[in-house]
Amino acid sequence: MPASDLDASPAMTAAAAAPTPARLLDPGFALTLRPMRYPAFYDMYRAAIRNTWTVEEVDFSGDVVDLRQRMSPAERHLIERLVAFFATGDSIVSNNLVLNLYTHINAPEARMYLSRQLYEEALHVQFYLTLLDTYLPDARARQDAFAAVQNIPSIAHKAAFCFKWMDSVRDLRRLDTHAQRRQFLLNLICFAACIEGLFFFAAFAYVYFLRARGLLHGLAGGTNWVFRDESCHMAFAFEVIATVRREQPELFDASLETEVRGMLAEAIDCEAQFAADVLSGGVAGLSLTQMRQYLEYVADRRLRLLGYAPQYGAGNPFAFMDLQDVQELTNFFERRVSSYQVGVGGELVFDAAF
Amino acid sequence: MQLLDTQTAAAQAAAAQPFSLTPPHAPAGMRVTKRNGSHEAVDLGKIVRAVTRAAQGLHAVEPLQVALKTIGGLYDGASTRELDELSIRTAAALTAEEPEYGQLAARLLGQVIEKEVRGQDIQAYSQAIARGAQLGLINARLAEFSAAHARKLDDAIDVAATARFEYFGLRTLYDRYLLRHPETRQVLETPQYFFMRIACALGGGDMAETLLLYRALADLDYLPSSPTLFNAGTTHEQMSSCYLLDSPEDSLEAIYARYSDVARLSKFAGGIGLSYSRVRAQGALIRGTNGRSNGIVPWLKTLDASVAAVNQGGRRKGACCVYLEPWHADIEDFLELRDNTGDEARRTHNLNLANWIPDLFMRRVEQDAAWSLFDPRQMPQLVDLWGDAFTRAYEEAEARGLAKRTLRARALYARMLQTLAETGNGWFTFKDRSNATCNQTAAGGNVVHLSNLCTEILEVSTEAETAVCNLASINLAQHVNDDGVDFDKLARSVALAVRQLDRVIDLNYYPIPGTRRSNARWRPVGLGVMGLQDVFFRLRLAFDSDAARALSTRISEEIYFHALRSSCMLAEQCGAHEAFADTRAAQGELQFDYWPEAQPQDAARWAELRARIRAHGLRNSLLIAIAPTATIASIAGCYECIEPQISNLFKRETLSGDFLVINRYLVEELKQLGLWTAAMRDAIKRAEGSIQGISEIPAPLRQIYRTVWELPQKALIELATARGAYVDQSQSLNLFMATPNLGQMSSMYMYAWKRGLKTTYYLRSRPATRIAQTTVSSAAPVQAVACSLENPEHCDACQ
Repeated sequence: MPASDLDASPAMTAAAAAPTPARLLDPGFALTLRPMRYPAFYDMYRAAIRNTWTVEEVDFSGDVVDLRQRMSPAERHLIERLVAFFATGDSIVSNNLVLNLYTHINAPEARMYLSRQLYEEALHVQFYLTLLDTYLPDARARQDAFAAVQNIPSIAHKAAFCFKWMDSVRDLRRLDTHAQRRQFLLNLICFAACIEGLFFFAAFAYVYFLRARGLLHGLAGGTNWVFRDESCHMAFAFEVIATVRREQPELFDASLETEVRGMLAEAIDCEAQFAADVLSGGVAGLSLTQMRQYLEYVADRRLRLLGYAPQYGAGNPFAFMDLQDVQELTNFFERRVSSYQVGVGGELVFDAAF
Repeated sequence: MQLLDTQTAAAQAAAAQPFSLTPPHAPAGMRVTKRNGSHEAVDLGKIVRAVTRAAQGLHAVEPLQVALKTIGGLYDGASTRELDELSIRTAAALTAEEPEYGQLAARLLGQVIEKEVRGQDIQAYSQAIARGAQLGLINARLAEFSAAHARKLDDAIDVAATARFEYFGLRTLYDRYLLRHPETRQVLETPQYFFMRIACALGGGDMAETLLLYRALADLDYLPSSPTLFNAGTTHEQMSSCYLLDSPEDSLEAIYARYSDVARLSKFAGGIGLSYSRVRAQGALIRGTNGRSNGIVPWLKTLDASVAAVNQGGRRKGACCVYLEPWHADIEDFLELRDNTGDEARRTHNLNLANWIPDLFMRRVEQDAAWSLFDPRQMPQLVDLWGDAFTRAYEEAEARGLAKRTLRARALYARMLQTLAETGNGWFTFKDRSNATCNQTAAGGNVVHLSNLCTEILEVSTEAETAVCNLASINLAQHVNDDGVDFDKLARSVALAVRQLDRVIDLNYYPIPGTRRSNARWRPVGLGVMGLQDVFFRLRLAFDSDAARALSTRISEEIYFHALRSSCMLAEQCGAHEAFADTRAAQGELQFDYWPEAQPQDAARWAELRARIRAHGLRNSLLIAIAPTATIASIAGCYECIEPQISNLFKRETLSGDFLVINRYLVEELKQLGLWTAAMRDAIKRAEGSIQGISEIPAPLRQIYRTVWELPQKALIELATARGAYVDQSQSLNLFMATPNLGQMSSMYMYAWKRGLKTTYYLRSRPATRIAQTTVSSAAPVQAVACSLENPEHCDACQ
């Protein structure tokens, strides 16, 4: 990078001159990796690299047949809504990542992870784009799917929720004050607990419901990988939150908790409204009551992760979600196994124990 | 830490009841739509009664719970069919809490199947066959036999036997194996009619034999492989699992002819092994055009597309494994074919890959010597040589400077291991050992050129003759009681299975010409096992114990002995197979003669059999092959072939959907100790099915119930070596390493070669990162898991 570019950013100049910041949210662009302040972020970065996958590996060949021959109109409606949501959801997350998280989380190892996450979000967008192109051969229908974020009320509503919390930090250039850091934290919690942690988890539940019935292997297989990535993104965000909490416990006051609870309640309502639309045709095995209970159950888990008492006391109503918690044993003749790693270390020796 | 400190009593109270019942949402207002289109209010009592009827004899299930959960998932106006299906899935989903729910789900599904068959006015086995014949699905031989013996066959149907199935076994059968009406797609046969159809098709037209076969199948004592189950008695009776195609000759015509062979074999459910070692490498001159060849990759890319296009009647995907010898100059490109990055034009995501490795390569690796790569255009003879003859030709070519390139043998070995770790593909199979121990290679010119899709078949092939093998596997779980293995029953099952496998050779439909000829000459069959892990659990043997290895070896010896004996008896009746004179058995050699450590049990018994074989020959040149049994083991409800358990709790993914499988032997042990509680279930789930960290479970049990990730892989190799003396083909031997590492892998595969294994199969590993668990309560009462962030292993967010 030419020096003039560095000079162009006032924040960058300040950081370059300043010593390594004391805390994760102190403003600037820290560059020092040794000694490393937050090795956990670096480990997460490396683990993510080992799990590289590509859209080309996903086999969509059975999906179109399933859609046409094995699924009811109500289930097809479910899929169309779901894909429409996915088509834009990951892009929203990417934007927030670049505009907010990358700017303010001030450790180079954390930014390495965020760069990797950004790539993964793009990969997810590519996956759902490919899916959409495969499922919807008609150009007009594809256009409508991407316009869903404006035209379909249940999706527009969710998007509005996301934008509200993005807009809230749009003018934050630096996190100098207590109030600014709190504002940033709320944005981070919203994306981790509500958008990735609730909206996406609900979307995954629909996919796993179908997967448990042997439908749409392409969608299920790719989503499995997306889910694996998203789980890491969430884990990273919660690690950032825990770090900030350690460094600046004063930020986590009672009013923050109140705001978080309110935010989650609003997210549940948004998602329940979406569910009413998604399930409007009647799908046996997924009732609206169960979906709401599931959302409350997931919200409680997010609250616990943030160190708060659960709000709803709901149990998990979806037995099929048990299925994704355990090891997969794939019949190699039937499905591509999703558990291979990329990047193998070690030296060639002939006396290692095995 | 703060996260835990702030956890309130309310959180713990909520966590204590993670599976609280869903209240039915206004069941009074809910209606179902009946088959005739009329509506009816949902009646909870009616559902409870139906479930209770199916639950007879199951003491741990609560019908009310199933009924309530079913209604909770229903929407207004759902069909009765959806209601049935939902109640089955609801029961199945409770399997992880109590394995009996799996049986309940299977019985409910059994009722649905019965209803579907009866609904088409089919009340008996003979009627099902008659209908199938009318619809053009059943062949004349079976139709005539079934009609001629209708009364006897109908009477022999044992309806109660269907209760033996576990849920996922019956589901698999229903979704993919039972014959369906070509238009309505309804099943025409019940599971018992299905078994009777197989028995009648393979019983040789003999009533007593047919009924013996039916009994064995209905009891799940043994099962033929999937293609036999799919196609027996049908109009296209292709019943073989494996085809081994020699490399196409190095010409455009031969390469294209092979695509067509592969497609025709795939269509009828055969798995394919295909060598490519004869095809010229990149840069070789093409005389016709004076151009340069692009090597094997573009040809394999076309093969990849072709394999993806042909699906096996919609029942499973076509599958093909390409074999290449590591002296081929395109070996490095070959090893990249399954990478998930790079130029898509040079990637083949649907092909499996295997290395066909001469001993010389392994010796050069050991000595850290150089390794030369050749173009088969210049060295065509290497493909047909093995052992010392190969070494001589190879070294002579090196001396003449014919190598296209030379590299360190260890560099290539590392590249092969890397491919194996990253893609699971690029299996290690050993050319010289495979040839030296093969019964078919006694006469010069008969060469094993490759193994098959699952690396358990080793048979000679040529350009004109494609090797074929049909398979079956004995379910060892059905041959064990508390006193040990029932060897008498095992002997009977083996004899029955060998007779059945032998008949398939004559009945089989051969999709391409070279196969019939090869099968007539050699008549090979592959009898394997499944459920070895069940035997060890039943007898409380740790997988890596000496006792387990001794028992496993003894089982293999008995199977080999009785298989040879049965084949010899068949030879006495029908004559030896045509090429018997060209086999090692004709010279009095048997498989364990090539395994120096083997100690057959009863020398007199073996001496007598050897003499008998010399006198009368064998009906089959090869008898034993340990196949992976992925699908048939799930039908039979046992662990796969010779493998240790993957986990005490795992998800099985199949075309029929995903099923949760719990180790029912462990559950039984824990119940007896009073340890089978919700907290225990969560603890097992949190540890991904491992029980090693759960100190309440007694240490000896923890030892027995280790998962494959917790076993030394050396033990798997030792078991395979000891068994190998009685396996005249080979074994689909998977090896497991949670996080593969080059050092361990290089040691492991070197050891496998030195121990004399002929082939290995997948290297299985676990993903580097995981999906967040969604259904395990994070505040666990057992061995209280502390803060999520300090204990990443146990945390929801950190995974």
